[in-house]
This record gives sequence, structure tokens and C-alpha cells, in this order.
Amino acid sequence: MSDDPSPWAIEAAGLGKKYRRGWALRDCSFRLPAGRICALVGPNGAGKSTFLGTATRLVTPTTGTLRLFGVPVTDPAVMARTAFLAQDKPLYPRFTVAEMLRLGRELNPRWDQALAERVVRSGNVPLTARIGTLSGGQRTRVAFALAFGKRPDLLLLDEPMADLDPLARHELSGLLMAEAAEHGTTVLMSSHLVSEMEEMCDYLLLLAEGRLRMAGPTDALVPAHMLVTGVASGDDGVPEELRQQHTVVESRVTGRQFSALIRPGGPLSDSWEALVPSMEEVLLAYLRSPGAPDLIAGEARLDASGEVAA
Amino acid sequence: MTTTTAPAPATAAPGRGPLRGLPWVVWRRHRTFLRAALLLTLVGCAVFLYQRMGVMDFLHGKGAPPEGNEKLLTEFRSRFGSTFESDMEYLRYVPLVVGVFLGAPLIAREQEHGTLKLVTTQSVSRSRWLAATLGLPLAVAVGCSALLSAVFTWVWTPVHGMDVNGDWLTGGAFESTGPVPAARALFLAACGIALGMLIKRVVPAMAATAFVALATSLVWERFRGRLGTVRSITYPYNGNGPDLPFDAARFDDWVATADGRLYGFGTCVSTDSGADHACRAKLGIVNRVIQYFDYEQMAGMQWLGAAVLVALAAVVLAFVVWRTRRRPL
Repeated sequence: MSDDPSPWAIEAAGLGKKYRRGWALRDCSFRLPAGRICALVGPNGAGKSTFLGTATRLVTPTTGTLRLFGVPVTDPAVMARTAFLAQDKPLYPRFTVAEMLRLGRELNPRWDQALAERVVRSGNVPLTARIGTLSGGQRTRVAFALAFGKRPDLLLLDEPMADLDPLARHELSGLLMAEAAEHGTTVLMSSHLVSEMEEMCDYLLLLAEGRLRMAGPTDALVPAHMLVTGVASGDDGVPEELRQQHTVVESRVTGRQFSALIRPGGPLSDSWEALVPSMEEVLLAYLRSPGAPDLIAGEARLDASGEVAA
Repeated sequence: MTTTTAPAPATAAPGRGPLRGLPWVVWRRHRTFLRAALLLTLVGCAVFLYQRMGVMDFLHGKGAPPEGNEKLLTEFRSRFGSTFESDMEYLRYVPLVVGVFLGAPLIAREQEHGTLKLVTTQSVSRSRWLAATLGLPLAVAVGCSALLSAVFTWVWTPVHGMDVNGDWLTGGAFESTGPVPAARALFLAACGIALGMLIKRVVPAMAATAFVALATSLVWERFRGRLGTVRSITYPYNGNGPDLPFDAARFDDWVATADGRLYGFGTCVSTDSGADHACRAKLGIVNRVIQYFDYEQMAGMQWLGAAVLVALAAVVLAFVVWRTRRRPL
């Protein structure tokens, strides 16, 4: 990583993918600094897998460009630097575990056999077992071993923990964090389990209906919001003052009370009660309000002005 | 069994077997089929070799040229006729098996099981992956078909005039000797690969490939007679026909007018001989014509037909390569 001139693991510019049914991903622009653990969250069909597809050359974008470590994704050279764990964890069912690892060794110049075997062995998966006879969790572990063994600079995981029991989930998350920390690997993982992502990730991308709604480091995104409650007033319950000075992401009125998730534009009035929201509350507010303005943190913004604004 | 079948290591021991990298992955993936293909080829060759010994013994033992020797012909056919028939049947099914069981699942299985996502996101480029995925199985399939065909040709050639009346064109020899089996195997495998890639499901792709194989074999049967220039013999309508060379393939029979105009063999044939006579007089039919191919034309026609099949296979494979390059599968 030290010989790497580009500090950005991912730079997407106007990235879009149109299928026959419509746009799965639209005008997606952001960048992800190297070394981060990034969560790619969004509801089903938000475009998460499509985005991961463009980063792994499985999907050709209709518009825009994508660069990984400064290299265009169309350049085959990026293939050795990324590893991808697809959602359905595809493996050859007739291969043994050892043969599956051999596949990794034969096809990847930076292969780390010891690491891959350690991942497999720690789950008590016998190397001589055929993939087809393994349980879902064991198969996921072998798929993880293949991804880790490739020694990627960027690890792309599509719903990696979805079919694991809590114990295996905890164990593999620990393994993931340890490996990422040891090798400085950038990790981008998609999930709709927000609570789980919160403890692992320090960067966040929120996709909804193919659009990027939020991007940036979690420690900048979440504190940029406030959960405000107070006495309802005005036409729709939300005080006019709140609307004028702050950005209202989502608001709700119950009886004479309103509550709103806002991005403060200045000091808040004392007549309201303000709380710091959790990451989940922020994400859900954005998902429920398609009209709310997007929030791309300065660090994640692609244009030069963004850097200044940060 | 052969030098290429390294036993899969039970544990990950590096440096076993001659195959490395992508070829190893492709070999391992199709190991069952490819091993069976090599085994069946060896068995087939051994059987043909044994038959050749029997055939040569028969020819030397009789010491007589087979031409015109009806007794010898009958004896030969009763001893070897059914053997040759089943040999040819076997060789004619080889391309079908290659197309349906190797070609159709080659890419479709990867698509259906999602393993395409696994194998095309490793460090090798998609074009290298495609080259190995297509190249190795096709090479084995074509190599095996060619070897089987060559050995069978070696068995059949000394007795080509005795087997099935010497009719090498429609009797099965045309499709089961020389370059034709390998070319058909390549063509049907290419069709299977392309269909599998488009259909993305193994079983429907296999069914579609079998259908295409059937359709193309019907087309082939109509088309093979045009691979050479047909020769013809004309003789008087009521005369005895001349004998064709013993190893010629009779292609068609006609009736003809004095100036060479051809009518179908059944023209003016009915139960009423008087009416038939009048009918022939009206049309001016005075001759009969036999169209045939000489044995010396066989190899040329086979190579021409094989070249056509290989060219078609090349077009289909080029389409597969073009499509995978244009967009991910």
C-alpha cells in the first residue's frame, strides 16, 4: 500500500447502470479513502449489488467511470488488487476444500496459502471435504478464505454475513477486522443489517433507489444530525423557524408534539429538545424521505470544491 | 490413465501434476467428462485395433480380391457387418455427446451456479479465462474424435468395398471416417457452448443442443451430395445397366430423354404398361441414368465437408468470444 500513489481506494464519477427495467444505479459520485471499513447500506434493490458488480467488472456501467486505487476498473491490472465475495457465495460443489484453495492459488499471484488454510481450519472445515457436502456457514467460510487468501487491497463483500449463525458471524467479523487491520485492506461491504455495520464500519455509503443518498465517514455523518422534538406549530406541525434555519430530513407530528431529524444549520433554539440520533435512526430517516437532500461529506466528495468545504 | 490425469491431491500439496493455473482449474472442473472421454477413446481404439486384426486375418486367409466374389462378400458381411454397423453408429454419436454433455454445460453451468462470478473475479482476465475454458475441452474433444476416427478409418479402408455394398455415402462411413467426426464434434460443441451461453441454464441448453444436432444432421444429409461432382452413367431404358465400380456410392437414379433431360425414377411407372409406354413416348424418355460418386472422391468430399463445419464452428466461437468481450456474461 505504501508504494501506492492514490490515497483513494474507490473513485466513482457519475457512475450509472441502466437495465431494461430502468436505472439500477444513477449518477453515483463519491470516493472512498484507502484503509477504511465501509458499509454500503440500502434496502433491497437499492443498487448495492449493481455497484459491487461495476467494481468487480461483472457489470459494465452505462455511464460514468470508476477508478480503484487510481486505476480505471476497465484495466485488468485491478483484478489482482480486489477480492469479491458474491452474495450467494458461489463455489464449485464437486471440488474439495483443498482444491478450492488451490484454485485461488493457481489464479492469483499474491495468494497466501497459510492465511487461507488458517481461515478454513479455524472453522473446523476439513480440507478433504467436498464443497457440496458443507453447511451454508462452512461454505461461507471457504468463500471468505478464498477472498482473504487473494491478499487484496480492496475487499468487496456482498451481504457477507447474511446466512451465518450469530457465533460464526461474530467470529468472521473478528477475523475480517483483524485481517483488514493487519494488511491495511480497504473493505466495502453491503448489508441491510444497519446495527451490525455500526460497530464495524467507519465509513458509510447509503444507496436508495439507485441513488447515492449519503456518503462519508460515520463520525462526520451521524453527528451532523440532530433529533429535535418540541411543540407543534405552523401548517404541518413543524415550526417555520426550524425549516428556515436548518435542513429537515424527516419530520413527524403526534398530537401537539413534533419530532424531526435535522441537519443543524446553526445553534438550536432552547424551546426544543435535541438528542443525538443513532446511526440507524439517521439511515432510516433518509430511506423514508426520498425527497430529503443528499448528504455527501466533504471527504467523500469527488470535486475539488468538496475538499475545501470539508 | 494418461499423463494428464494427475490425481487430485487430498491436501493442498503444491506442484502435483503437469497442469498449472487456469488449465488446471478447467481440467478439474470437467475432470469427470474429460477422463471418461479419454477412457472411451482408449477403449474404442483398442476395440478397433482388435477388429483390424480380425479383418486382416480374413482378407489374408481368403487370399482373393473381394470384387465380384459374392460368396466372399456374404461371408464377410455375416462376420463383420454388424460390427461395422455398430462402430459407425458409435462414431456418429460421439459429436452429439460432445455437443450436449460438454458444449452445452461449459458456460451455462457456470452461469447457473453463479461460479462465473467467482472465477472471473480472480486475477486472470476474462479473455484468458475464456481461452482456457474453450480451448482445453475443445482440444480434448476434437483430439479424441480425431483419434477414434483415424483408427476406425484404418480398420475400414482395406474393406471399404465390401462393407454395406460399398455405399460409403449413405451407409454411415462418410460421417464416421476421416476428418468428419472431429469436425462435427467441434461444430456441435461450439453450438452447445453458444446456446448454453445464451440460455444460461444447463438442461434447456442441452435440449436445445440436441435439437440443433438433429436439425443439422438432416441438413447435412441433404447437403453432403453436393460436396463432390456427381458422376453419371446413361444406358438404354430397357437395357441391363452397366455395373458400377464395386466401391462407388450410388447417389440417385433417373430416367432421361435422348438429349439428356432428367425425370424422376418413378416417372411413367404405373400398373398399366401400355399407358406407361405411351407416357414415355410422349415425354421422349429413352434412357436410364445412374448418378454416383467414385470412392476416390470420398476423401475430397469429406475434407470439404469438414472444412465447412470447421468454418461454421469458427463463426459460432467467434460470436461467443465477441459477446463475452462486449459485455460480462
